[in-house]
Amino acid sequence: MRKLSENILDKISIDFLRNQVLKNAYGNDDTVIAKLDPRILLVWYLFFGLVPWFLNDVVLLLGIFIFVALTTRAARIAPLVLFLFCIGVFSQTGYLFIVALFFGGNTETIVPLLIMTLKVAVVSLASITVFSGLDPDRLANGMLWFGCPGQLSFSISFAYRILPVLMEEFQNILLSYRLRGNPPSKNGLAGKIRYLAYQIRMIIQAFYPLMLNTAKRSRTTVEALELRGYRHSIQNPEVKKMKLAMLKVTRADLIFVCISIVWVCASFGASAAL
Amino acid sequence: MNSQNKISQSQKLMVFVLSMSLYGLATLFTELIPSFQVGIVEFSVEYFLFIPLTLAMLFDPLSAGLGAATGELVFSEIMLGQFGGLGELEKFITVTIGVYIAGRLVKNPRNRAVVAGASIFGVFIQQFMGCIVDILKVQFAVEDFEAVAGLPESVFFTEGFACLNDVLFSGILFCMLPTMFLVPKLYGKIEPLLGMKPRDEKTVLGSGGVSAKTVGICVIGFIAAVAAELLATGGFELIDWEASWAESTPAMIVAIIAAAVVALIVIGVVRSRAKVDKAA
Repeated sequence: MRKLSENILDKISIDFLRNQVLKNAYGNDDTVIAKLDPRILLVWYLFFGLVPWFLNDVVLLLGIFIFVALTTRAARIAPLVLFLFCIGVFSQTGYLFIVALFFGGNTETIVPLLIMTLKVAVVSLASITVFSGLDPDRLANGMLWFGCPGQLSFSISFAYRILPVLMEEFQNILLSYRLRGNPPSKNGLAGKIRYLAYQIRMIIQAFYPLMLNTAKRSRTTVEALELRGYRHSIQNPEVKKMKLAMLKVTRADLIFVCISIVWVCASFGASAAL
Repeated sequence: MNSQNKISQSQKLMVFVLSMSLYGLATLFTELIPSFQVGIVEFSVEYFLFIPLTLAMLFDPLSAGLGAATGELVFSEIMLGQFGGLGELEKFITVTIGVYIAGRLVKNPRNRAVVAGASIFGVFIQQFMGCIVDILKVQFAVEDFEAVAGLPESVFFTEGFACLNDVLFSGILFCMLPTMFLVPKLYGKIEPLLGMKPRDEKTVLGSGGVSAKTVGICVIGFIAAVAAELLATGGFELIDWEASWAESTPAMIVAIIAAAVVALIVIGVVRSRAKVDKAA
């Protein structure tokens, strides 16, 4: 048991987290999904993110679920993201089932909850495919094309760039606090609680220097943006057109759309037949 | 630093970037910190809302709120692939409004009592709106909501309890106490880094921080929030109602084919627009 918990703690170190996020963002730009046009994928997501909410047929939902599971596999998503997805689905509907049993529900409660779980799973797998499978810059360009505010697409590109830096800095600050601090002993239940409280307090205190450092960095960032005329350029249609000229719909996109349509139609056929 | 104590556009952008990156980093951690489950009571580090709260009390509240909401959206939802579509809009609005109101309430950041009260109030507003929306979401997603034995009570109970739990546990431990610690400590130190003057009575609302004006803006913001939520749920209802004629499978198939055709048309428009853009 102790070994297991140590193993898990080993896995969720900050380094591991950083690697996973980086891998997720930039590590898989050679997959089938990453090569597709971001605009097509966003339209695709609009369909698979909205339509499942209005379907109530188990077979149909299962068919769509298998399809988005395949696309997720094609996008080669990092394991951490998939793990978080499983936890998310369970925490959204799985615990509701247990509570419903507690309040006198029976096995009939399973069917509506299974439908709801499938809906949630389809929608989040579709979003994982699109938002994790795509290169962040391509994703930002696709969103910009659909008229999303320039701030949002800037935030996406900026977030992926700044996150590894911020994580490293946070880890350094945390380590320096740890070197200087004197943690309480972990003996007994009271000691464990005190130790946990100490750890959390340290994390919160670590944000004090981090805030000051990030303030300096964000000023530098904004001043660099201003020097290049950022605020003028996000309002200028000429600049936008130049920026989006790289987006092209290719034959691979059409094939992907056709496969999606055929699969959804087949699922409908299966649900009608059964 | 300009003489009129006004915040310039680029300084607002600085606050936005600062709030976005810090809160985004924090939400990424909270996604991974495990939660203790004692029976059906869940004790979790819900979020580190103290970061945008602190920034909203020291700088422009609206930029800090928007930055925090964007940071959460980008870092923890889009980056980890947990983007939930419509549901994220609700969180975006509630976080922005909660942080904005809390930031608006504080006139003197050195007054710890006001800082504490404002931060817990901001958390409460955010949680309460989120709770209402959650209940409505489950009601619309599950067919025959009332017919499933034990489900309505359990949803009301768990959501209400989660809301209370979040306000009392996460709200006090992870929002109020850190904000009380950080705001007076950062006051006067972090502002010069962004080239601003520290907040005082003169700079808080442009000219003379009248509390009645603040309250008025808060009320308008709150009404806007409620209206937005009602619109969102009204939209759900509308689609739900439209879908009720399509109970038979053939009708549903027709509807889906229509949707596919619409999607294809959109794609066609995309292509033709791309061509026009290329030609132009």
